[in-house]
Amino acid sequence: MMVVAAVVLSGTTMVIGTFVIVLAAVAVVMICTRRTRQRIEARLGGSLDRLGIERTDLDADSSLDSLLSRIESAVRQSRSAGEQERRTIGRLQEVLDTLPLAVMVVDATGAILERNIAAGAFIDARHSDALVGALVNELLAESLAGRPAERTLELFGPPRRAVVVITRPLGVTGIRCAVAIIEDVTERRRLEAVRTDFVANISHELKTPIGAIGLLAETLQAEDDPEVADRLARRIQTESYRVGRTIEDLLELSRIEIDETRVADVVEIGSILDEAADRLRPAAEQAEVTIEVFGAELDDALRCDRRQMVSALTNLLDNAIKYSDPRGRIEIRGEVSPQDVVFSVTDHGIGIPARDLDRVFERFYRVDQARSRQTGGTGLGLAIVRHVAVNHAGTVKVESRLGEGSTFTLRLPLSLLGAHEKAAPDSSLQSDPTSDLNSLPKGPQ
Amino acid sequence: MPEQRKSFHQELAEIRDQIVELGALVREFIPRGTDVLLTGDMGGALSLIDADDEIDALTLRIEEQCYSALARQQPMASDMRSIVTAVWLTGELERSGDLMVNVAKAARRIYGATLDPRLRGLIERMSEEASRLISLSLDAYVERDASLGAALGDIDDALDALHGDYIEAIFDAHSGQDLGLQPAVQLALVGRYYERIGDHAVNIGQRVQYMVTGWLPEQTGAARLRARTSFSVVSADEAAARAAGLDGSSAGEPDGSVEGDR
Repeated sequence: MMVVAAVVLSGTTMVIGTFVIVLAAVAVVMICTRRTRQRIEARLGGSLDRLGIERTDLDADSSLDSLLSRIESAVRQSRSAGEQERRTIGRLQEVLDTLPLAVMVVDATGAILERNIAAGAFIDARHSDALVGALVNELLAESLAGRPAERTLELFGPPRRAVVVITRPLGVTGIRCAVAIIEDVTERRRLEAVRTDFVANISHELKTPIGAIGLLAETLQAEDDPEVADRLARRIQTESYRVGRTIEDLLELSRIEIDETRVADVVEIGSILDEAADRLRPAAEQAEVTIEVFGAELDDALRCDRRQMVSALTNLLDNAIKYSDPRGRIEIRGEVSPQDVVFSVTDHGIGIPARDLDRVFERFYRVDQARSRQTGGTGLGLAIVRHVAVNHAGTVKVESRLGEGSTFTLRLPLSLLGAHEKAAPDSSLQSDPTSDLNSLPKGPQ
Repeated sequence: MPEQRKSFHQELAEIRDQIVELGALVREFIPRGTDVLLTGDMGGALSLIDADDEIDALTLRIEEQCYSALARQQPMASDMRSIVTAVWLTGELERSGDLMVNVAKAARRIYGATLDPRLRGLIERMSEEASRLISLSLDAYVERDASLGAALGDIDDALDALHGDYIEAIFDAHSGQDLGLQPAVQLALVGRYYERIGDHAVNIGQRVQYMVTGWLPEQTGAARLRARTSFSVVSADEAAARAAGLDGSSAGEPDGSVEGDR
């Protein structure tokens, strides 16, 4: 009995002992966990504060939960900020790519950090672009040393171009780099030349004959010899005709410029060719030049301003006659191609130098001043032709070889064709000019 | 830029880029010199003659870089051929630039002479053709296009034909009293300069072929020579006569001969 009691007693003690040990262990673990947790909280709170992540009202206490939600919101914020930044960068890159300029940024070793699409033309380039690339590298080296640089490069091509390269040092980010901007200024320069030449030329064309008339009249006043007086009077007449023609052409040109919407007549292509050729036949006979008409049988109807079209073609023929040698041959041609309606005038005369080809359509532009005095042109003919082409949503081009002759080609869109059935209601077209205007693709002015 | 050790292939790429730059400079010279000639622009003539120094300096720089690469890297096979070709090309290109300097100098010598439109037109066309040939030869070089390189000889025929027309036009102009003897001779030389530029482009094409395939243009000529000399066991008199060009037969002048422009 005693033994049994002792066994039971010792069993109870063991149970209690085990219980106490477990209790103590749990207490220790709890204390430890709490400490660890506190340390984690303190550490996290500290780093969040150091990173400058502010606590919000919602997670004002420093429990682990609220800390974690702070982290969550901070990550979310930075993610959306990153997304926004990416979008901004993408947008800026797009803006750079739409620029007509080439832009590139290089680091201190000359490696490209950023560039737009246009700049791609000068990387691993060949021919003229390789020279631009070499200049860009040279100026960038200058700017990496802290000096801004700028230079203009004249390229003979072909095509002939002028390119401006500008480089600047960059240092905002603390990293040494430089930016290069490459701009093609060919067109701008051409326009500047057109403007300055126009002012010089118009004053020359108008002032010279008027000055001459004044002087001749003055001499005439003091002249007794009827023979000399007669000669002087005739010179006055010639000069005044010249001024008259110039003014007439100028007026015609401005009329065409203003009248750009009036495309009302419906005319057969062949009849335009015939009319233009007939007008110039006397002048051609005088110059011993023959005019051959090709396409006079074309009866396709063309919606156009008849007066303007005939004026354009007579101007082209007039030029062809002036610059043909005696016994020369001129071809005026009309045809309907699958793409467009084509009028062309070809001569076999002296031709136009390559460098003047893109300027002959300017007002008063003269390839050869001396010769133009002799031929008596006003210098406005080709400008008129170009305006007529633009008014009809077409183009005019010239191909020429010195010593072999020139071909001027006037191309009009096919949409001007095929109003043959509607030929009769000529007046209806005029009565509603807007319908006309809308049906025509407008060329750039 | 900080001095850094460049890999051999970087160096090869650098040499290629510089050849491209040299070629671009020379190609610019052609329309520029033509412009000087046709407009009688003496300022332009002087600036072109001065600008040739730039070409010479770049030529020297490329050559030195090639020699140093050969010495330091001791390249083999296609790398070796690339460098040797680059050295050859500098010579061809530099010479083409010099020819345009000659055109500018001719423009000075004939200053004041009027050229009739036909002559001017032909000069413009020869210039365009010469510039096109140089462009194509450089395209062949950069793209390592041996077939284009080989085609240049035939493409050059157009320029040769123009040169023929041009000489005829000079005769016509001179006999028509429109052109004095002195400018006529100068102009004939100018035509020759353009024609030579075309030949240099053809040479570049052949060098490109060599670079890509290892084919040597001289091999055909050398083979012919070997064949000739091995047959020359005939009499010594005949051999001597042949050497002196008294042979009369055209056997010594194989047609379609390769440009021997050394």
